[in-house]
Amino acid sequence: MATSPDLRALTAELHERLARVRQGGGEASRQRHVARGKLLPRDRVEHLLDPGSPFLELAPLAAYGMYGEDAWAVPSAGLIAGIGRVQGRLVLVAANDATVKGGTYYPTTVKKHLRAQTVAAENRLPCVYLVDSGGAFLPMQDEVFPDREHFGRIFFNQANLSARGIPQIASVMGSCTAGGAYVPAMSDETVIVRGQGTIFLGGPPLVKAATGEVVTAEELGGGDVHARTSGVADHLAEDDDHALAIVRGIVDTLPPDPAPAWEVRAPEEPALDPATLLDVVPADTRTPYDVREVIRRIVDGSHLQEFKQLYGETLVCGFARIWGHPVGVVANNGILFSESSLKGAHFVELCNQRGIPLLFLQNISGFMVGREYENGGIARDGAKLVTAVACSVVPKLTVVIGGSFGAGNYGMCGRAYDPRFLWMWPNARISVMGGEQAATVLATVAGRDADPDVEAFKAPIRAQYETQGSPYYATARLWDDGLIDPVDTRRVLGMALEVVARTPVPEPSYGVFRM
Amino acid sequence: MIQTLLIANRGEIAIRVARTARALGVRTIAVHVDGEERAPHVRATDAAVRVPSYLDVDAVVAAALEAGADAVHPGYGFLSERAPFAAAVATAGLTFVGPSASVMERMGHKDAAREIAQAAGVPVVPRAEASDGAVPRAFPVLVKAAAGGGGKGMRIVRTAAELPEAVLAARREAERAFGDGTLLVERYVERGRHVEVQVLADAHGTVVHLGDRDCSAQRRHQKVLEEAPAPDLDPGVRALMLDAAVALAREVGYVNAGTVEFLLDVESGEPYFLEMNTRLQVEHPVTEGVVRVAGRALDLVEQQLRIAAGEPLGFAQDDVAVVGHAIEARVYAEDAYGGFLPQAGTATHVVWPSASDGGVRVDHALESGQVVSTAFDPMLGKVIAVGADRDEARRGLLDALDRTAILGLTTNVGFLRALAASDAFAAGPLDTAWLDRHALPEPDDADARAIVGLALRGELASVAQAGPWADDGFRSSGGSAALVEHGRTLTPPSGHWHRHDLDDGLVRLAGDVPPAVGFVRRPGSAGPGSAGGASEVVVRGQRFVLGPRDTAWTGVSAGDGTLAAPMPGTVLDVRVAPGDAVAAGDVLGVVEAMKMELALAAPFDGTVTSVDAVVGSQVALGAVLFVVEAGE
Repeated sequence: MATSPDLRALTAELHERLARVRQGGGEASRQRHVARGKLLPRDRVEHLLDPGSPFLELAPLAAYGMYGEDAWAVPSAGLIAGIGRVQGRLVLVAANDATVKGGTYYPTTVKKHLRAQTVAAENRLPCVYLVDSGGAFLPMQDEVFPDREHFGRIFFNQANLSARGIPQIASVMGSCTAGGAYVPAMSDETVIVRGQGTIFLGGPPLVKAATGEVVTAEELGGGDVHARTSGVADHLAEDDDHALAIVRGIVDTLPPDPAPAWEVRAPEEPALDPATLLDVVPADTRTPYDVREVIRRIVDGSHLQEFKQLYGETLVCGFARIWGHPVGVVANNGILFSESSLKGAHFVELCNQRGIPLLFLQNISGFMVGREYENGGIARDGAKLVTAVACSVVPKLTVVIGGSFGAGNYGMCGRAYDPRFLWMWPNARISVMGGEQAATVLATVAGRDADPDVEAFKAPIRAQYETQGSPYYATARLWDDGLIDPVDTRRVLGMALEVVARTPVPEPSYGVFRM
Repeated sequence: MIQTLLIANRGEIAIRVARTARALGVRTIAVHVDGEERAPHVRATDAAVRVPSYLDVDAVVAAALEAGADAVHPGYGFLSERAPFAAAVATAGLTFVGPSASVMERMGHKDAAREIAQAAGVPVVPRAEASDGAVPRAFPVLVKAAAGGGGKGMRIVRTAAELPEAVLAARREAERAFGDGTLLVERYVERGRHVEVQVLADAHGTVVHLGDRDCSAQRRHQKVLEEAPAPDLDPGVRALMLDAAVALAREVGYVNAGTVEFLLDVESGEPYFLEMNTRLQVEHPVTEGVVRVAGRALDLVEQQLRIAAGEPLGFAQDDVAVVGHAIEARVYAEDAYGGFLPQAGTATHVVWPSASDGGVRVDHALESGQVVSTAFDPMLGKVIAVGADRDEARRGLLDALDRTAILGLTTNVGFLRALAASDAFAAGPLDTAWLDRHALPEPDDADARAIVGLALRGELASVAQAGPWADDGFRSSGGSAALVEHGRTLTPPSGHWHRHDLDDGLVRLAGDVPPAVGFVRRPGSAGPGSAGGASEVVVRGQRFVLGPRDTAWTGVSAGDGTLAAPMPGTVLDVRVAPGDAVAAGDVLGVVEAMKMELALAAPFDGTVTSVDAVVGSQVALGAVLFVVEAGE
């Protein structure tokens, strides 16, 4: 492996990539969009939010490198999603980017839309959909349409979110064709922009093919039709800004944000500047360092009330506050042993008992292997940690600050363990095991490990793991909620804690702990 | 000297007169109508008397007697040039601060004044009675009814060929309108400047002039910028006008302050006598700004009072010098970018430039909270800047107007500022019709948005400690947030800015980059992003209200132009036919149903393309009655 760039350089690269996707689609399609009098999708979000409102964006680098020759073909998966404040309330915003392939839904677009709805469901966030989409991306219909977590799930979610009292608000600011027509139709309250927004199950070409009727898009399903005749839309807007003003007016009729589920104290800045994270964290995940250096740069007053400091030292557990919110921090400080697993399980139970949200700082190459450990029952102890994490009822937040390998990913609340949010730093690596280990294992299984040309066998395996272990590969596929600048970790966690504090914490209960 | 002076006026001029009178130890009495008991001019005087109207001669004279006044100052406007008023004041045994009623009477008649001017050797517009066959020496000419007025029987003729036709038409019109077909043909000045001369004459035969003024910057014959001395004037022409003004005053036996107005033909450079104003002028401060008598500034009101008291002028023409340049801007409650329509309302916040700043004078009668009605002259005040030369005065005026803020109602301050800053005005005097030919560009709200952005950013910064969701525009995905409110991007200007909190939520922002000064009042205390609130901004004198756009709250009403019967009923009225042009809101027809009369109005400006309604006919619900096609 070449010399790793430092974390600062990796972070600079992250910002370059983020800046690139913020442009949206190509120059020509953006100009076409604006020439129609429409706001660009990111401007729509800006104009919707309260002035100065922060925006916690979900997976801005989704779909990178996934479709076609051009790695940037579908920036942000053609859907901008995130949490921001509207009329003083936190809402989830999902805005189609019509400058990206007409806002059509690629498989990742669907996945991102569903992820946004999950965030809304788990945190009871009102949803605002800024619709401008041609519907499913037809060439990939088999990966978009039929399955459980495909296009239809969006409307299933809308119905069930609404049933749970989570408002569904749509503003139709462009096409809204076929299945897409159900986004406004399934919403509690819908706005449509005259002359821009259209809603129909079958567009003019399909109508002509099916019945021979010749009709314009505006006659078929324009703003006037839906606001006056069909009743599919509830409000008719003159333009994007008018529509967004109406949406803001609708949000203003919603109940205020709920009180937090736990005591929030006055925040305190960390004693150590978060900006110095870039200096103290080695970019190469193989270089050991004390994870407390990270914790001290994230938590209020740099103060950590450590639990079992002298036991199972490869896992740091402790209570702290972030922006005044209580958190139970679980942070890797080396490989997981039986003791560290037991300590972690114990600590997770404590947090559940006390209703304190959990923060996992993942930098794990895995559980210890070898006869001594297997015979000692490390699988049994690891299972206790996994059980405790899986059955946790308090909200969990995960930040992958280094490696995320093997079963360590499970015990440390990987994506499969339903953390409310999961972010990665730009130095993160994620795979079932390290590339070198995988190559060796596969060579052994294939009986090639004694071959003189074993290197030729191993190299492509290592290369595959190198590619797939990249945080950009991960975030493209929605394995996380986005890559973040390490310096922003505290801020992002604070925002997330305010979001997850919106829902009450139920009573804990667990499955069988293997003793 | 006068002991007690009744000021028969209101507004800034009453305050102006009171200021000098009080400085001279003269007791001052105001008059006021109902509702003006607490008006600024009442508070500027020692006592006040109610009158039913500022135009009620008997009541004003009675008020003066009742208050024990020994003199009356008429100000300008109202009764100031009404000879019967001057006569009534004199008859009551009081001193009128102005010329005698008889002089006022003579100068008040245009034809009489023209004859007196001619007798005094003052140049007048060449004029002759139209006689068949007689052709003027030069064109264009104005053909008008000798008995006329109001533009009736008036024709502008540019060539000799057009003359006979025009004379015939004008004569027919004049006969019809006035019963007298006598026509006058006079030189028509296409482009003229308004130049006037200030004169002072005492009761002892001394007449002096105090130089000239240019009042050519006019909109629809209303002066907006005035300056002294008149710029770009040929020395010979200037001398001719000054001498003529003095000669005219002598000829008519004028006493007190007066102004002789000339029309200066831009093409020929020739001045023609227009009229004499037998009172103090609105624009007298520019004269006061530049005239020095034996090196000292002159107070025209003081001179008026002394002359009225019978004192001789204490100086001669040779003692009078004109130093530097002064420009006055008249602040009106009017929408200068909306057809100059008068505006009314409450001036919620008023900031005038500080008079202590060098070279700036403000004569006004407008304070925060004052209600401006359309019952009186829309002039709210005057901002006067003085400088060593015209450009210094002009730049001083721009600065002064930048520091002027009137909120709550629309004024012309921004327009005055833009006019004073225009290349045309900077280059020299305009002609009186310049503003009729040129529209100033509509004000751009970019600077206003920047100023609101500054204020908004300040508000947001003040909550930055509110937590991770503080309004600092943080983006977890990098980049920075645009500051957007009501769909407007409010990008603050660069540079260093200081915030000064003025009264009642008004904030003054001063910075080291343009626009350098801005005033803003943000919506209530509901906090940033609260619904519905508008920011009121004044920048470069121009007021902007940046709130939600109207449509955001009124919604759209216009459909596709098809007007259908809203209920089954009977057509009561059809008011249009196909091809008619209609404006949004015009009623096209009326349907009666369920005891209600339902008017069908045009949803937008356009043309009626179809009418399917017949009066008396029954129509079904949804029957299309009218179709309007939108105009371009």
